[in-house]
Parts: sequence; C-alpha cells; structure tokens
Amino acid sequence: MTAHRILIVDDELDFGTTLAERLELRGYAAKAVSGAQEAMGVLADNWRPDVVLLDLMMPGVDGLATLDLIKQHDPKIQVIILTGHGSTESGILGMQRGLFDYIMKPVDIGELIARINEAGAQ
Amino acid sequence: MSENRSSKRNCPIFCGLSGKDLSPQARYRCMCNSLFIVMLAITLIPLSITSGLNFFQYQQLVREDSRANARWNAESARATINAYLEKLEAAITVVIDTYSFEDLSDPKKLEQIFRQLKREHQGLVDLSIVGVDGIQTAYVGPYRLAGKDYSDSLWFHKALARRMYVSEVFTGFRNVPHFVVAASKKDPSSDRYWVIRASIDTETLDRFLALADTEALEDIFLINDSGILQSGSRYHGDALESFQLTRKPKQNDIVIFEEMRGNSSFYRAVSRIPNTPWLLVLDQQGAEARKIWHIFKGRLQLTLGLCFLASGGMVFWLSRFLAGKFREADETRDSILSETEHSNKLASIGRLAAGVAHEINNPLAIIAEKAGLMQDLVGLEQDFRHRAKFLDQLASLQNAVVRARTITHRLLGFARRMETSLTLVQLNAIVTEVLSFLEKDAAYRNIHIILQLQENLPVIRADHGQLQQVFLNVINNAIDAIRSDGEIHITSRRENQKTVMVAISDTGPGIAPDVLKHIFDPFFTTKGNEEKKGTGLGLSITYGIVQKMGGRIEVSSEVGVGTTFIITFPVYKEGSEEESNDRA
Repeated sequence: MTAHRILIVDDELDFGTTLAERLELRGYAAKAVSGAQEAMGVLADNWRPDVVLLDLMMPGVDGLATLDLIKQHDPKIQVIILTGHGSTESGILGMQRGLFDYIMKPVDIGELIARINEAGAQ
Repeated sequence: MSENRSSKRNCPIFCGLSGKDLSPQARYRCMCNSLFIVMLAITLIPLSITSGLNFFQYQQLVREDSRANARWNAESARATINAYLEKLEAAITVVIDTYSFEDLSDPKKLEQIFRQLKREHQGLVDLSIVGVDGIQTAYVGPYRLAGKDYSDSLWFHKALARRMYVSEVFTGFRNVPHFVVAASKKDPSSDRYWVIRASIDTETLDRFLALADTEALEDIFLINDSGILQSGSRYHGDALESFQLTRKPKQNDIVIFEEMRGNSSFYRAVSRIPNTPWLLVLDQQGAEARKIWHIFKGRLQLTLGLCFLASGGMVFWLSRFLAGKFREADETRDSILSETEHSNKLASIGRLAAGVAHEINNPLAIIAEKAGLMQDLVGLEQDFRHRAKFLDQLASLQNAVVRARTITHRLLGFARRMETSLTLVQLNAIVTEVLSFLEKDAAYRNIHIILQLQENLPVIRADHGQLQQVFLNVINNAIDAIRSDGEIHITSRRENQKTVMVAISDTGPGIAPDVLKHIFDPFFTTKGNEEKKGTGLGLSITYGIVQKMGGRIEVSSEVGVGTTFIITFPVYKEGSEEESNDRA
C-alpha cells in the first residue's frame, strides 16, 4: 500500500503539527497548515496531497469555502472534515460539495487512518 | 388528588375575598366561597326584596280590608239596631195616632195592643201609659208598676219635650237594666200631653249586636256619652258598668281607630246611633290575626324557604363547578406555560451545550493528539527507563479523553435531538423490542416485568429508533430505581379515539415532589454513584422526542410506593400526515 500524502488544514496549528507528526511516524507524508491561504500555497508548490484533513471553523476562509477551493484546484483530492464544531447541516453541505467524510474531534488515530486509507483508495 | 378531596371537605364557608398570600388550594377555596357568597347574594337579595315588598303590600291590602270590614260590620250593626228601633217607633206612632189616652188607659185595650206589638217586636217587656203628671195610668207587663210616678224621670221629660224618645239603659223601679222607647201626644180634649212607653230589655240589644259577630270580631257593645255600657260586652262587663272610651265621633260618622297590639293591628269602629243616646263600639282584630293572613304568611315563608334552599343548592353547586373550571383552566394554562418554558429551556440549554461541546472538542483533540504522539514516541523507545509507566499514564490520559469525548458527543446529540425518520409503528412491538435488550438485566436483579398490552392497538407515526430510545430510557430508569427485587408493570391501551398510551409503573422507592418537578430538566440527575453516573440528559431527550412526535409524557410518583410514567401518542390517521410532518 502506498503511503498517502496528507495535508492538515486547521487553525489550531498545535493540533495539526502533532497529528502530522503522528501520521509521519506511521509512514505517511503529512503537512500541517493553519488556513486556506497556506493550504492553497502548498497545492500551488506542486505538493499534491491525496487526502486533506480540513477543519470547519477557521478565521477568514472557513472549512466549506476551503473545500470549494481545493475541489476547484483538483477535484480528485479527497477531503475529510475533522472538526470540533460539527453539525448535521454543515456535514450535508460538505457532502454536496464532494466531501469524502465528516469526523468529529477528538478522534482515535486508528479510526482516522482507516478513513484516510479509504479516502486515499478512491 | 387526596389533597383535593380533603380541601373540599375542609372548605370553610367564607375565607375572605382577598386571594393574596394564599396557597393555590386555599386560593381556589377562597374563590369558591367568594363565588358562593356573591352569587347567593345576587340571587337572594332581589328575591328577599321582592318577597318583602309583596309581604308589605299584601299586609297593607289586608289591613285596608280589615279597616273596611270593621266599618262594614259597624254599619251593619248600627243599621240592624236602627231598623229595630225605627220599626218599634213606627208601631208606637201608629198606636198613639190611632188611640186616645182614654182608649189606652183601658188595661184590656192596652194588653191587646201590647200582645200585638210583642208578636212583632222582640224584647218588648212591657207597655204603659203615663199621664201628664207622670203617674202611670195603665201598665201591661210582668212587673207591678201601675200607678208609679215618673214625674222625676229624665226619660219622661225628654219624651214630653220630643215627640219620640229612646232612653239610655237604666234600672228604674223594676231594678233590671232596660231602655224605653217613649212617645208623647197632646190630648185634644184636655190639651195636655200624655206618654206611651215601651220598655225593652238589654238582651234584645245584645242579640242584635251578636248578629255582627264574625271570626275577627273581638267585641261589640253600646255605651252612652257618660261611658256607661248600654249592652253586655265580652271583655268589659255587663250593661251599666263603666267603660272609658278615649275617642268619640262627633257626628253620626263611623270612625275607625287603628292600634298596634304587639305585632298585630287592631281596629275599633265607633259610631253614634242616630236618635239614640248610644254609641256603637266594635272591636275587631287586624289582618295579622285572620286565618287568610296566616295562610298567606305560611305560604310565603314556605315558598321563600324553598327558593332559598333551591337557590342555595344551585349556587353551591355552581360556585364549585365554576371554581373547578377556573382551576382546570389555570392548570391547563400553567401546564402549557410550563411546557413552553421547558421547551425553551431545552432549546437554550441545547444551544449552550452545543457551544460548550464544540469549544471543548478542539482542546480535547489537542490533548488526545499530544498524548497520542507521546505514546507513539515512547512506544518507539524500547530502552526508555520509565516506558511502561509512561505508556500506562498516557493510556489513562487517552481514556479520560474518550470519556470527555463521549460526554461532548452526547451533548451534541442532545442539542441536535437527532434526525427523525417517521414511519408507522406499533407501540407494543417497540416495547417488546426494548424489553429484549433489558430482560436479562431485569432477570439478573430479580425484577419481574409484567406486561398488559392491549391487542390490535392502532399504529402511530413516529421514528422507530427514537421511540426505542424513549422506552429504553424510561424502562432502564425503572430498573435502576428498583435496583433489585421488584416489579415493573407495562400497560398499553387505547385511551380514546385520538390517543394511545403506555404506562410504565415501578415498585421503586418513588420520587420526592421537589425532585419530580425537575425530572425532565436537562442535566438533572439523581444517579449519583460512581458506578453509574447519570448525565441528566436521558429524560430530557425522552421528553423532547415524545413532544416532537406530538405526544405527551407525564410522571406521577409517591415516595415508598413507586413511580409511573404515562406516555401518550396521537393515533395515526390517514390525511394527518402533513400535520405530523409539520410537527416533526
């Protein structure tokens, strides 16, 4: 199985970097950024992630808008929303925009990896 | 309920019109009594006034009637005596005009005339002829009065002065009360006057007066101006006894004097009898002493009493009925307000819970990831001295995160109240399904579940999963309340055309009233032990689900006896789908 590239977009950068480090320990290539602008910067640098773990509530451009930007850039990139501010409505809106899954924080690393692998396999 | 019954029993007649500072029970008692008093007053005051007016009006009429009756009786008695005297006077006039002094001085002739007169005139005692010198020249009668000298007698002189004279009652030579009717005539041969005298006993007057006797008549008698009785009186003695008459008529009119004797009126009619020295006195009871008056008064009192009783009874019933209606209306209003308040509270707390859960989730995720990274790193370091202890501590940290996550997710679930998918479901089937999860636990605790499920219960429109959660929560609570050794009764039945209900009763310790008030409030829990700490959301979620499905959940409990939850749902009817969707 190929190790997927994971981009973590979360304004809680401490969370993102820690999660990225844990994923790297498990053989994934992971990067953490704190917002939409940085995320689009990473994509523009030709570092194409297979899966993006995206926070929903972020200052400036929020998760759903970032999802739109990512999908406009590359519709094949799978996006999983990983948020503490989940709601059914936002989940439905995300699904309508091509979201792969919707996971509530905090999440078990094993469960998260299972979902990442599923998304990466798409 | 028992309190209601006892409050009805102890309901005082009046507890004041002010309802301030009173308990609800006392306030309704007060309202009930105030209504009773006000309605009773509204009913009885006009009734009493009308009856009183009728009473006084009728009393006036009867008094007028009594007055007229006394006048009529007096007139009648006067006319009777007058008629008697006029007839006698006419007869004497005929005799004196027909016969001369010499003719009548003949005892045989006089006796013949006397017999004739006596046949026609009751009470005639004797007949005599008195000469101008006052010496009685002829006498026919039972006494030995021939030759008596009446020259000093008042009647003799009055008879000479007037052509016809009726005397007062006196005893005279015979010493027996009597009166005389005397007429004088001038003898053409001697040109001197002589007198014919007829004596009548006073019993004759008594007999005529007795004709006027009626039910109301107290007394009737004759007196003269000097206050000497001229006839026998029922209450004032025999003829010639004294009687004080305070007021006398001046002329021949009949004068009626009214007096009050105690509560009864009394009438005295006084009239002069023309051409006599007599005054007729008639004493008669007033209206109040008459039978017709007593009948009227009795009927009025009976009618009034029956009206009072009927009004009192109706007002008593009506006041309680209205107070009950007010109470029901207040209770319904309070219940609606309470439900609205509770729903608002749930919504507010739901929003707050969602906010808190979201805010906690992020730091919780950082803790989880940091702890996870530490676990990863320590796991890689096989030579790390405290590796086992670190891993153990980090596992505890992760467990705490999982616990916290469970709580925040449940809070979000509460806030969302879960998505609904409405289908037609059978309550009995849901109850049976839920019991299949709980039966083992109940059996382990020696709790008997007794089912009384009505067959062919109508279906309801509800979310299957949420309905399961409702019964799971309530039955689970019942099992937790009993702990061990007890019974749970589950009854389902159709309440009416519109609703079906399930009642779940346990034989647990019951719930104190102050706890019962908050049982559906979010975060209110009584499960305080460490083993099974409650979140205080179970019954709130249950309440929210039931309400969302258009149902109702009620709880009643008695400490030491047990608790009963009654859950009611509307029966599904075709065509009511839109309405259900709107509610969902």
